[in-house]
Parts: sequence; structure tokens; C-alpha cells
Amino acid sequence: MRTDILSSLESITRVRGVRGAMIVSAEEGLVIAESSMEGIDGAAVAALTAGVVARLARATEAAGRTAPAFVHLRAHGGGLMAVPGQGDLMVVAVTDPEVNVGLVRLELRRAAEHIA
Amino acid sequence: MRVIEPWVAEPLQRFLAESSARVVLLTTASGQVVAQHGFTRALDVMSASALGAAIMASTEELGRLTASGASRSLSHQGPSRGLFLAGFDLPQGRWIGLVVYDRDSSLGLVRLFFDRLVKELRVVAPTETPAREVLAADFENELNASLRSLFGR
Amino acid sequence: MSIEDIRVLTGQLAADPSSLVFLPLGEALRRRGQLEAAEKIAIAGLTRYPDLADAHDLLARVLGDQGDLERAFDEWDIALRLDGRHAGAHKGIGFLYYVAGDLPKALEHLESALTADPGDEGLAAAVARVREALASPGTAQRPSSPAVDGPADTAPGPSSLAEVGPTVFDGLEGAQDGLLLLDAEGLRLGGGLSAPDGTPVGDSVAAHLAGVFRDAERAARLLSLGPWSSVAAETADANLFLCAPTQESLLLLVRDNSVPIGRLSLQAERASEAARRWLERAT
Repeated sequence: MRTDILSSLESITRVRGVRGAMIVSAEEGLVIAESSMEGIDGAAVAALTAGVVARLARATEAAGRTAPAFVHLRAHGGGLMAVPGQGDLMVVAVTDPEVNVGLVRLELRRAAEHIA
Repeated sequence: MRVIEPWVAEPLQRFLAESSARVVLLTTASGQVVAQHGFTRALDVMSASALGAAIMASTEELGRLTASGASRSLSHQGPSRGLFLAGFDLPQGRWIGLVVYDRDSSLGLVRLFFDRLVKELRVVAPTETPAREVLAADFENELNASLRSLFGR
Repeated sequence: MSIEDIRVLTGQLAADPSSLVFLPLGEALRRRGQLEAAEKIAIAGLTRYPDLADAHDLLARVLGDQGDLERAFDEWDIALRLDGRHAGAHKGIGFLYYVAGDLPKALEHLESALTADPGDEGLAAAVARVREALASPGTAQRPSSPAVDGPADTAPGPSSLAEVGPTVFDGLEGAQDGLLLLDAEGLRLGGGLSAPDGTPVGDSVAAHLAGVFRDAERAARLLSLGPWSSVAAETADANLFLCAPTQESLLLLVRDNSVPIGRLSLQAERASEAARRWLERAT
């Protein structure tokens, strides 16, 4: 695994409230690389997040809009954020409920640029 | 969904609902059909179960031959549909699952929920039924009986 | 429907392949006996709208006409999984059970179809005849002529549960375009949405959002994140915000991307409140 990709993931997990970050194959919903996913089932995060993002992309397409460039699923006990990169890859973060969304989004975008 | 073993029904129904898989076939390692969903013709079930059993047997043998270990699962991605094939062990013996999915699902989701299906089957599988070897002579009769039951004919 | 009507519908579909016009077009072709063409239209529509119960219903009717009853059954089964109240699917499955001689199951589905579509007189007559047959011991379980209007006469169900218009969001910004209320099965309950070119897309977006609703709930549940509260998305030209005003409804707010997500969240809160009041009044 390229070290710049791993260091991009570490930049995401350094943000307070981020439990883990990973690169996911968007079409297959499989983990490509992950960082600090303690206590989190990485395979489940990858599969389920890719599912939400793919489904949302079909809804935005039906609405005559482009595919999502950022997705944030917010739940009472935490959240999932995803930024699709170029090609089939997507950067995903699992967060606590209290997290600086703007900062995580920024780091996700940076990481997405690295994997492009 | 049609099942031969009633205890398979509930976990399989959950798998179908969660994974959004289009076609599922559960067979024994020798190709006897245990459950199916989404097949429309008995002939397709017969071919798929025989091919699935053969692929798993040859892949496992290849794994032994090359010392790369037994293969847990295989997948194939077509232009619009994907195929997932996996072997797993139950008190009844080795079973094979064949799953076909489309863009409503993904390999990741199928794998995730298939693992859960296997765990649930292990919990509900009756343990008192001893695994028995299938004789070649019985095989065709058993297969035909399974298909009649699965397709209500 | 005349050949000219079919030409018009074909032209509309060619101009906008994402249009739901494939439903009446496929049905018109089926009624004219052009089953191969109808099947192609239905399958193309399903590729685009795999979660649309009406599309599975259309394909099932075509397959039924082709005599492929097993596949027809499976398609209606899928339609019912997507929309448990789908009248066409209940009617079709009821018919198949009737043909198979399973009158209790036939009655169960036909009654469900009648509940969903109480105005269907043919259906009411069919229910009455199946009830009669069940009440008369010794009568044939498999009558020589089906009492039920089969798939050939099954009319497509409504694409939306209620064309209730924009009243649910009256007084709110984007009440008619940009706010959409739907039920958990992807049926539009109120509000509306247009594509950037002005095409109404509310019903088709609603159909897709039901899947987002299920996927979001599933992700939050399986990852132990607790109940999900919202899904926000940014696209190149719009920001979207999804939330669930009640357990059985979903609200979508769409604004151009100059409106930040944080503001969308506040607007969605107000729209959710309006939706809850409206739903309470409606029930």
C-alpha cells in the first residue's frame, strides 16, 4: 500500500471524533485500506456505506443531478461520511456523534485526491 | 423462496431481505439442492447445483495441490450481475451457497450477509442428523425429488 | 391505445430514457399482443428502476401473457416485497393461485388487491366467486374457466398513492419544487421535485429513496450507530438532505449548492414538523 495513502487515512483519523477511516471499492463494497478501525467491522462499514452511496447516486441521477461528491449519514450514536474519488474508489470515515464535520470532509477530500 | 429443510427458511429469508440478492441456491457438497430462490426452471437449478459443486471441489483441490489453502469463496463480476460461490460446514456436512446479485447489492454486502447466514444456520441446524454419504445410485433420484419439492411438481 | 399513442410514448421514452413512460408504453404493447417488445421495454425500465413495484408488475403481466407463469410469479413476488399493498401484484398472484387450484391463497391475495383497489368491480366479482367456491364443499377446486380476470386485464396500479399536491408544505420555501414527502415504500405523499430542465421527477426519485431509507437504516443498525437521523449529500449542482419525519415517512429537501448543508438541516426540521402535522391530520 502506498505510504501517501496510508498517511492520508491517518490524517483523517487524527481528527477528534473520528473512529476510523478506510478506502473502499465503491462498486464491490470491499475494503482496500483502513486505519484505526478498532472495534469496528471494516468489511461491514465498506459494504454498507458503499450500498448507501450507490443507492443515493441512483436517486440523484433520477433527479437529473450529478452523483454525490460527499455523503454524510448521521445517526444518534455516530456517523458515516464518504467522498468518492476518481474511478471506483471512495474514502470513508466512521465518526462519533460529536465531530467537526467540515474538518473531516476536508480531510476526506484530500485523501480522495491522493487516491485519484 | 423454496426450501427442503424447514430450518433453513428463516435465516435464508433474512439473508435475501438484507443482501438484496436476486438468486440463491444452497446445496450439499455433492450438489443436492437444499433451498433455492429466484430460479424459474428446474433445469437451471440442476445445472447450477452440479456446476457449483464441481467448481468448489476443483478449486479446493487446486488449493491443496498448490498449498495455497482451501478456498473459502469465489466471485465473478459480470457486466450487470455478480456471482458469489462459497463452501461452509454444518453438522449435516459441507454445503455450498451460490448467490447471484445485481446493482441493488454488491460483493461486499453479499459476503457480509452470507457470513451471517452461515452463522445463523450453524445455530439452528439440527445436530442429531448424522451426515450420510450419498451413493451415486441414489443421487439422481434424490435430486429429482428435491427439484419436485422445490418447484412443486 | 392507438398506434399513434404508442408512437408518441416511444418518442417520449427515446427523448428521456429515465422517464416512467415505459410503464404505459409496455402495457400498451402488451395489450396489442406485441409481447416481445413489451418485455424489452419492461426489462429496460427495470434496469433503471429496479425498486419500482409497478415495473415488476408490468414484466409479470407480460410474462403471464407469454405463459411463463413461474417467472411471472417471481416478478409479482418481488413487486409485493417492494410494495406489500400493490393491487396489481396481489391480483396477479391471486390469479396464479387460482389457476393452481389453491383457492384459500387465491382468496387471500384477491382480497388484499380489493382492499388496495376497492373500485375494481371485476376484482370484487372474482372475490365473490372464489368465496362461493370455497363455501361449497365438493365443488371443483380447479374450475374449467377461470373466474378471475387474469394478468391480461390487470391494469397498471397508480404510480403514486396520493396525488395530494403541495399542500403538505404550504408556506415553506420550495413547497412545490424541492420538497418531497414519501412513504417507506417509495410512494410520493406530497410535495414535488423537478430536474434542472424542469421535468417532474418526484415519483421516480421517491421510488429510489425508499431504497436509501432501507440502506441507511440497515447501515446504522448493523454498525451499532443507533437510529439514523439524516443523510446529507452534496452534488456538483445541488445539496440534498434526507430525514424521516415519522417512522413510516421520508422527507427529501433539495436546494442548489449555494445553500449550505447546515441551513438545509434547519429547513428540513421545519418541513418535517409540517409533514408530521399533515400526516396526523391525514390519518
